[in-house]
Amino acid sequence: MVEVIQQIINGVAIGGVYVLIALGLTTVFGILGIAHFAHGSISMFGGYLTFFFVTGWGFTLLLAILVSLIVGLILGFLVELLAYRPVRNASHINAFIVALGLTMMVEGLNLEFFGHEQIVIPTNLSRVFNIGGVTIPELRLYVILAAALLIIAMTLFVEKTKTGQAIRAVAENRDAAILMGVNVNTIPLVVFSISTALGVCAGVMVGSLFAIAPGIGEGLVVKGFAVLILGGLGSIPGAVVGGLVLGITEALAAGFISSAYKDVIAFVVMIGVLLFRPQGLMGKE
Amino acid sequence: MRLTAITAAFALTATAALAADKTLDIGVSDALTGGGAVYGLPQANAVHLAAKEINAAGGIKIGDDTYTLNVIAYDDKANPTEASNAVRKLIDRDGVKYILGFCCSGATGAVASFIENEDAVMLVGNAAERSITTREISNLTRTRPPADYTGAAAGTFVAEKGHKRVAVLGALDVGFYASYVDAFEKELNKAGGKIVSREAFGLKDRDMSPQLTKIRGQKPDAILVVGYVEPAAFIYRQSVELGIDVPRYGFTSGSEEQFLRVATSEQMEGVWDLRPTELTLLSASDNGKAYHANYSAEFGIAPSPSSPYAYDQTYALKDAIEAAGTVEDTAAVAAALRELSVPDEVVMQYLPVDGKMFDENGQAYTSNGAFQWQSGNWVFVQDLPSDAAAYSAFLSTID
Repeated sequence: MVEVIQQIINGVAIGGVYVLIALGLTTVFGILGIAHFAHGSISMFGGYLTFFFVTGWGFTLLLAILVSLIVGLILGFLVELLAYRPVRNASHINAFIVALGLTMMVEGLNLEFFGHEQIVIPTNLSRVFNIGGVTIPELRLYVILAAALLIIAMTLFVEKTKTGQAIRAVAENRDAAILMGVNVNTIPLVVFSISTALGVCAGVMVGSLFAIAPGIGEGLVVKGFAVLILGGLGSIPGAVVGGLVLGITEALAAGFISSAYKDVIAFVVMIGVLLFRPQGLMGKE
Repeated sequence: MRLTAITAAFALTATAALAADKTLDIGVSDALTGGGAVYGLPQANAVHLAAKEINAAGGIKIGDDTYTLNVIAYDDKANPTEASNAVRKLIDRDGVKYILGFCCSGATGAVASFIENEDAVMLVGNAAERSITTREISNLTRTRPPADYTGAAAGTFVAEKGHKRVAVLGALDVGFYASYVDAFEKELNKAGGKIVSREAFGLKDRDMSPQLTKIRGQKPDAILVVGYVEPAAFIYRQSVELGIDVPRYGFTSGSEEQFLRVATSEQMEGVWDLRPTELTLLSASDNGKAYHANYSAEFGIAPSPSSPYAYDQTYALKDAIEAAGTVEDTAAVAAALRELSVPDEVVMQYLPVDGKMFDENGQAYTSNGAFQWQSGNWVFVQDLPSDAAAYSAFLSTID
């Protein structure tokens, strides 16, 4: 029983990272219909930037994260304005190609500025809590808590603020939103800014809990899309449930079936869910 | 008299023109980016360093000609297709005849499959897949011993420590790591021990807590970690976070710097690394200490433990070219490599077979050593039993 609980805790930590990646993706995809493949690489850029601020400029971790978040907000703004807006009214394939191009560009920039070796964001959080044989490293606990806070903040923003309501209006019916006076040119800028900021948070978590290295972002965005599909496209609760399901499934699969096939098993579970619920766990029929 | 003087002057000028300073392009195919770069880039740097030293010492002398080395390096990303393309570019476009580097077995195996048909010599470094030197390729040599040569010695060492139940966590889809574990298991079994589980991780994996949790539940009396240094560092860190308190043995190499990027020194304390006696350079020979100092000064970072395989390749190549008396005849240079005694400048401590650096398979052997992490450093503790001659004979029996 202890090992089962331990694997669940292991899975919740990585699941939290998947949730944040998926939240960024579902925000863009659900509202703007754009499959933003560059999200993973941009998230890793956020992690690299935080590492640079901490080790290069001597910032405290919190200050580094704050500055990286601000940079992320601006970066998201620029990505929408310069990369996706010019192809907004064109065929969907154009946005897809832009996304792929952005991925290659950001991966190249990451390699150029930060090198090929993996980096780990130093945190000095090394305590381990032991509760009845189940161990929880301090850092993982903070990652889980931070992910939970961000999810709550995102939900409150979307549900309770005027901007959040405007975003939901555009997602449901763009033309009606225009008629209601919503500025539909501002909304995509806000959406991308928030998505990138969430991505930066994910990048910081990956960089402190694990490592950032060339290619890590691409793997994460694949997991992010898997979570999107599993949870339901455009659904924030779906992204949360999907991320946790994927993370915990991976951990339990590695622990009790085979570590060699943990990714395969997780995707088999995802396909299994979709066979019975094609709209995803929380998606609308 | 004046005519004689003029004729003599012309003759001397012609001789000087013939005895020219020439450039010899040598190639490097290695993982300069991606997951293998932790091994490949230091190797490429090591070749550059050796070439610079050779040039500064007067280059390679053949008759009246002096050759300055020029290194052309391409990134093979530790990928078989990329490696084949890189070597093709070196041979076909750049006219290179001597190709060094080769950190990673998959990429190296791909090139080894066609190099015998080329007018070239291939010098393999860190890639430890055994089959690279069992194919009787006359123009291929390797400075690093195969993984199972070290695995057997490691198994004997761990068995002598009294461990009976060992859990393995490794990059087991990689051939040479699997062969290390197989050889390790054979020796462990002889002493009455057994491997209680084999858990796998991939090159890009960084969260091994599910596998370690499973291992924790099996209550082994030791853990063996085999794989690339970057994920291995996370295993050592996460094993402490999960409260696993048994001896940890590894076959990972990796400098102190590479491990400390991920884990604290306390989390690493007591970890063993059972590998060829590559490092710790600072406690090795005078050549090792000089290499460490020169590499650090040149590149601003300490050399990785396995980078000297490529450094030594370069000096072996130099000596072989000088012995063969030619840069054009690759067959002669390849034959000279097989007859070479261990060059004076090498860093690794080779065990000659019949007095030669490379055996009839083109394989060189170093001693194997047990290193332990003590207070922030890898410390050499003892030699592991390593019979190079017996292994060489064994290697010759394999197709």
